[in-house]
Amino acid sequence: MIGPSTKRSSQTQFAAQGEPMVWLSGGMFAIACLMILSLLAFVLWQGLSTLWPRNYSIYGRTDGSLIAGELYSKEVVDGLSKLYLRTGNYDVSNQHFAYVSGAELIDDQPWSDPDLWALERREWGNLYGFPKALSWTNCEPGQFAKEVSVGMLETARIDQQLAQAKDELKRADQGISKARLGVRRVELAQKIDLQSAIDSGVVDGLDPRAKAAVEHLAECTRRAEEMMIGINQRIGELEQKRSERSILLELPIAQELGTIPLDWAELSNGKLSDPEALAKLLGVEFGGQAPQIRASSMGQDQYLCKIGFAEQPFRRILVRRAEGTNCVISGLQEHSILLADVVRFFEPNGLGLLGRFGVYASRWWEFLTGAPREAGMEGGFFPAIWGTVVMTILMSMAVMPFGVLAALYMREYARSGWLLSAIRISINNLAGVPSIVYGVFGLSFFCYIVGGYIDGGPVKAGFEPWPSAVWFSALAVLSVVGLAAFAVSVLSGQAEARRSGFRSTLRWAGGLLWLATLMGIAWLLIRSPHFQGFYQAQLPTPTFGKGCLLWAALTLALLTLPVVIVATEEALSAVPNSLREGSYACGAGKWQTIHRIVLPYARPGIITGFILAMARGAGEVAPMMLVGAIPLATELPLDTEFPFLHGSRSFMHLGFQIYSLGFQSQNSEAAKPMVFTATLLLLAIVTLLNQTAIWLRARLRKRFQTSQF
Amino acid sequence: MNRLKAIADGQTFESVIHEEVLSRDPVVSIRDFSLFYNRKQALYNITMPIVKGMVTALVGPSGCGKSTLLRSVNRMNDLIETVRIEGDMLLNGESIFAPSVDVIQLRKRMGMVFQKPNPFPMSIFENVVYPLRIDGERDKTILMQVCEQSLRGAALWEEVKDRLNESGLSLSGGQQQRLCIARAIASDPEVLLLDEPCSALDPIATGKIEDLIDRLRGEYSILIVTHNMQQASRISDHTAFMYLGRLVEMAETSTIFTRPTLSETEDYVTGRFG
Ligand SMILES: Nc1ncnc2c1ncn2[C@@H]1O[C@H](COP(=O)(O)OP(=O)(O)OP(=O)(O)O)[C@@H](O)[C@H]1O
Ligand SMILES: [Mg+2]
Repeated sequence: MIGPSTKRSSQTQFAAQGEPMVWLSGGMFAIACLMILSLLAFVLWQGLSTLWPRNYSIYGRTDGSLIAGELYSKEVVDGLSKLYLRTGNYDVSNQHFAYVSGAELIDDQPWSDPDLWALERREWGNLYGFPKALSWTNCEPGQFAKEVSVGMLETARIDQQLAQAKDELKRADQGISKARLGVRRVELAQKIDLQSAIDSGVVDGLDPRAKAAVEHLAECTRRAEEMMIGINQRIGELEQKRSERSILLELPIAQELGTIPLDWAELSNGKLSDPEALAKLLGVEFGGQAPQIRASSMGQDQYLCKIGFAEQPFRRILVRRAEGTNCVISGLQEHSILLADVVRFFEPNGLGLLGRFGVYASRWWEFLTGAPREAGMEGGFFPAIWGTVVMTILMSMAVMPFGVLAALYMREYARSGWLLSAIRISINNLAGVPSIVYGVFGLSFFCYIVGGYIDGGPVKAGFEPWPSAVWFSALAVLSVVGLAAFAVSVLSGQAEARRSGFRSTLRWAGGLLWLATLMGIAWLLIRSPHFQGFYQAQLPTPTFGKGCLLWAALTLALLTLPVVIVATEEALSAVPNSLREGSYACGAGKWQTIHRIVLPYARPGIITGFILAMARGAGEVAPMMLVGAIPLATELPLDTEFPFLHGSRSFMHLGFQIYSLGFQSQNSEAAKPMVFTATLLLLAIVTLLNQTAIWLRARLRKRFQTSQF
Repeated sequence: MNRLKAIADGQTFESVIHEEVLSRDPVVSIRDFSLFYNRKQALYNITMPIVKGMVTALVGPSGCGKSTLLRSVNRMNDLIETVRIEGDMLLNGESIFAPSVDVIQLRKRMGMVFQKPNPFPMSIFENVVYPLRIDGERDKTILMQVCEQSLRGAALWEEVKDRLNESGLSLSGGQQQRLCIARAIASDPEVLLLDEPCSALDPIATGKIEDLIDRLRGEYSILIVTHNMQQASRISDHTAFMYLGRLVEMAETSTIFTRPTLSETEDYVTGRFG
């Protein structure tokens, strides 16, 4: 008897085969892959193409003017093209980028002149133009490139000397501020005002310390002033030398001069029908000979001519056909720039592939090793990279010992119980807290409270100090508690193994007493009436009481602590118990076992967690905004100046740089290409860290693999 | 069978230890020893000697407490928090479980080999000299000497003398187990504790280990747990039969295997139950 219930419908068969699920999950997988790939491709393309030197094209507008730029994109909407050009020449045209509609153009096909130069400058961005003359030599246009290169080497030398002189100046200044700080310290210590002594120079009747400080300040000031006269003079001379050399260029900006009749057909053959009229219009002398002329057609009805009348330098004019035989003549705007401002120059339209790669490589080199120009929109990212790296290393140095030791305690020493489980769960939850929360905590706790405390003692950190007598009695009580804690722990260590109830009571008591001692120490510290801070003399300028490298590193350390703890715990629990037992059976103690067996075995896992934490920390931006990253820092956090590592300095950070460039700079449109390059760099650094982690883990694991199967 | 049933019912039971064992000089004597995992009792009032310079085998069905007893001798059970003990053991006349005993010093006087080979993830050389390393020995010549001696003692020297710096994990299973034995005898222990050392090995490797135990006889006092009756009869001088946490009978191996006092022992060693 076969009932209907035993018969399978085709639908159940279909579901049983799981065909829809295959398609669904496969499709989702494909979409996920596609999204990741397109993200990567987008960042790669944008990041890599920004520094590539492009053609600089010139377009004629129907109103007679010119518009020129590197073509960044071209869209066609309803048959009408829209061009996005990087125009450069900001100091003349007041724009870096321009949108141009195809309707404005005579011809939307670009026209590029091989003679055009692109000059990257220290200020005002790129300049594009035709070199016309060099102020320091009378050479032929063919020699311009060589002369400029040689000249740039010389100005680089001058710049170096200038930097040296300025450095000396700065050092003299620092000497004075240091001496002034010394005086301020004495003032604070002795509660006196030394200003009148400084002003008058009379130090009689002062106590020897104050006298020494005031005299030192006077001496420093005197020496600095002497030195400054010399240095300032030298700086003046160097500045003078620096401003002597300039380059005269004709920019692709047309200025109408007038209309004269010209034979269009002759012009296209490179001849002028009426050179005299033209000479008059241009205001140059017509030497009687026919001028040398080279006319390049910029599409329909428009010529850009390079023209040289007898014995006179070449110049460029724009010739446009008007009604009849009349032609409108326009000159190009001239502009002169200092050679010393030029960082790099090349001929964007005349470069071969190799030359282009040369410029590309040199730009990347500058990007990776140079300092920013133009508020970070041009030039290098080195300070940001350096800041990120130093901060990340500092962060790792802070998080590693804490994380590893905490995990070690939890996994190897602590007795399992509800307390441990609760702590473990909270640590796991901590890993999911939004990073801005850590930023807020870092700012309010590290910068304001701890930093304020270091700067100016409890009062600056916002705590009322206790009266001296109360404080000392509290200190006495605390010492008793501390001694008790110590005694109880020693006792619990010696308590008989078999009386475990008594022992665990002792352990609890010891733990609580230690906790009380630690809290007591913290409490006494913040209530001390005898501590005025280490940097009281600098106040109200904060030293550590603001965002700085140290607090940023510590905030990030806190943020990555859960990552390290979780990874280390996992690595430790992966150590086979048989190894621990083997070690104990050999008569090893607990620490010997951990140090010789457990830690080496867990090392790959620990290192992996460590690098993952580093990668996470390196890319974190939100907390950085609050605790010390700034868009432009003049000093590096780690440099050759004593004491080399400057924990109280603000610093530049790659992730923060992306944010501030893209959204905070005055000209975010112009900064966008750089944002992509910086993004690519950040991505590369994080990927590199992760890849190192994977490679390291694989390498270390190999050592622990047994050949046995 | 009725005696075993009585044990299972929890009635008191006197174990039988033959005079031939008692008359010898013991290296470890277990005195009325009981052990509890939490409230669950695993060993019941065990009293037995382990004779000096001889091989004593512990046999019995799975879960009867052989490993527990073995691990109690060098106090490895201290590592388990729930363990509680009663009674005591003596090592050469000194108490093992007295509160004043330094466990670490105690363990240094014994060597232990586990069921699964557990070489440390370091070189063969470092594996063998590990007990000396933890004592802070740094003299290269002493270390080398001990390493060679122990490896020769464990019959492994010829196989590994050219690759002492390779990882101990690169050895085969049998070699790894002999490496562990070399490690166990490196500190020249008074007692050697072996917990089923051959259970993870093939017959050839097992043969080698058995030869090795045979050679170590006399030099070391050995306590070995085994499930393999043939092995027990081949290598041991004395055999103790345990059941449900009690010692049932202990005698010279030949006595246990040919004419034990209790019929239950005979049933077990001949494979009629267990
Ligand atoms: N860590 C532990 N916690 C609780 N009970 C345990 C623990 N280890 C062993 N036991 C129990 O103690 C008893 C004896 O175990 P033991 O490992 O000594 O047996 P064994 O004779 O070695 O068995 P086998 O021959 O299978 O190795 C068993 O009932 C076991 O369940
Ligand atoms: Mg066992």
